[in-house]
Amino acid sequence: MPELPEVLAWLLKAALIYGGLLGTAAGMTLAERKVSAWIQWRIGPNRVGPWGLLQPIADGIKFIFKEEVVPQGANPVLFRLAPMFSAVPAMLAVAVIPFAGDLSFFGHSTTLAIADIEISALYVVAIGGLGVYGVILGGWSSNSKYSLLGGLRASAQMVSYELSLILCILAVVVMAGSLNLSTIVADQAGHVFRWNLWSQPLAFVLFVIATFAETNRHPFDFAECEPELVGGFHTEYSSMKFALFFLGEYCAMVVMACLTTTFFLGGFEVPSWPEAPWWIQLPAFLAKAGIFLFLFLWVRWTLPRFRFDQLMSIGWKVMLPLALANLFATGAVISFF
Amino acid sequence: MFVVKRKELSLRERLFLPEIARALGHSLRAIFKPKITRQYPEEGLPTTEVTRGQPRLVVKEDGAMACVSCGLCEAACPAYAITIDGQETDRFIEREPERFDIDMLRCILCGFCEEACPKDAIFMSDELELADYSREALKYDIEKLKRPKAALQKRIDYVYRINERWRSSSSTS
Repeated sequence: MPELPEVLAWLLKAALIYGGLLGTAAGMTLAERKVSAWIQWRIGPNRVGPWGLLQPIADGIKFIFKEEVVPQGANPVLFRLAPMFSAVPAMLAVAVIPFAGDLSFFGHSTTLAIADIEISALYVVAIGGLGVYGVILGGWSSNSKYSLLGGLRASAQMVSYELSLILCILAVVVMAGSLNLSTIVADQAGHVFRWNLWSQPLAFVLFVIATFAETNRHPFDFAECEPELVGGFHTEYSSMKFALFFLGEYCAMVVMACLTTTFFLGGFEVPSWPEAPWWIQLPAFLAKAGIFLFLFLWVRWTLPRFRFDQLMSIGWKVMLPLALANLFATGAVISFF
Repeated sequence: MFVVKRKELSLRERLFLPEIARALGHSLRAIFKPKITRQYPEEGLPTTEVTRGQPRLVVKEDGAMACVSCGLCEAACPAYAITIDGQETDRFIEREPERFDIDMLRCILCGFCEEACPKDAIFMSDELELADYSREALKYDIEKLKRPKAALQKRIDYVYRINERWRSSSSTS
């Protein structure tokens, strides 16, 4: 039976991290529009609240009050389940990410991660792989050719890029000798050059590219490409179900940014200050993750979409061999030197 | 027959990443460029002397209307938007409008009334905004159409200049 402070700390952490995740995802919808506006020399939303800061709330209210439409011939159960399948895995994955090191709470010492489990890297990969079900089921159950094509593309794309993603994570896991994210972070403590970014530059680049494909972001957003598929898997969705798909997508982006930080940028470690208190480590983590969140938006409003065959050939003929070679080289170096 | 020659990409270009970095730099610089958005309701639309906005009636410097309710604009109006009822007055011009309505829902902003007017009494202003909550509110009466001459001066000067040009070109031919 766990002690009361332990339960309290656990509940507090869960509330804090999930509140932060959903808040960041909502903020990202505004940030997306703001960044796109800036890159196009515009101002962006500025009517709701100061600088448009209340825009996500206005959007949320709008989504809730919109009419829900279920198309004729759609599978009613799966059609309603698919948005949840899309949103839930993205939110689950955040549970194991360590946001800060030790902090004491009423004399109870803990880390700022909801669950600090031994196989957390494996858990993240497994849960992340579930995200594609929402997209496929949403595309199939809509009974629409565009949605179906979007869903099929998403599945093909995610399967291809997940391989490279996992191989890049494996290279890092080999370096740290552990599947525990906390251990991987601790392995990068100390000097800034101990970050995996410097020892695994190839894995880092491949990982970042694969995260773009995994989260269906530009330039790899074939699941929802507007000009050919009218919106892809979410063509037939409206109101809150549509919003849930987007919540899932943005949560996945936040999770991927956090994972990139954890695996390659030393997580919450402050350079040359391993014993920094948690209230310094947390902002450090958020700042590092923020860079990647901005990169998601920045790339989206810079690059055009690839062609689907280009996406597949890059995934299978370039990324996968490179990731394999990188993992092989890492293994060889670790075992022989 | 056209033959499209594809440009041979160099290794640097085929690697994508350096070119992507260049593109990212380009869009990052764009973030700091001055914004070109016009904040519309607060910032008005730009107008020039040529702007042919909604027709307005001239109120002269002495406070009297220039209109003598001759009805030429009413006759010239292709959309039948103008309705005039005249009345007598003690002033030298003898007649002035009792009622001068322009149905802005009918008005097509063609400017024929301005051209037809012999007394410089109606001009196309630089007012462009035409939105309201009811149809009735968009039937402008004389009080809504009155503008001091100074407010329309830019357009008046322009019309005079243009008419001068027409006159001189027709005299030579």
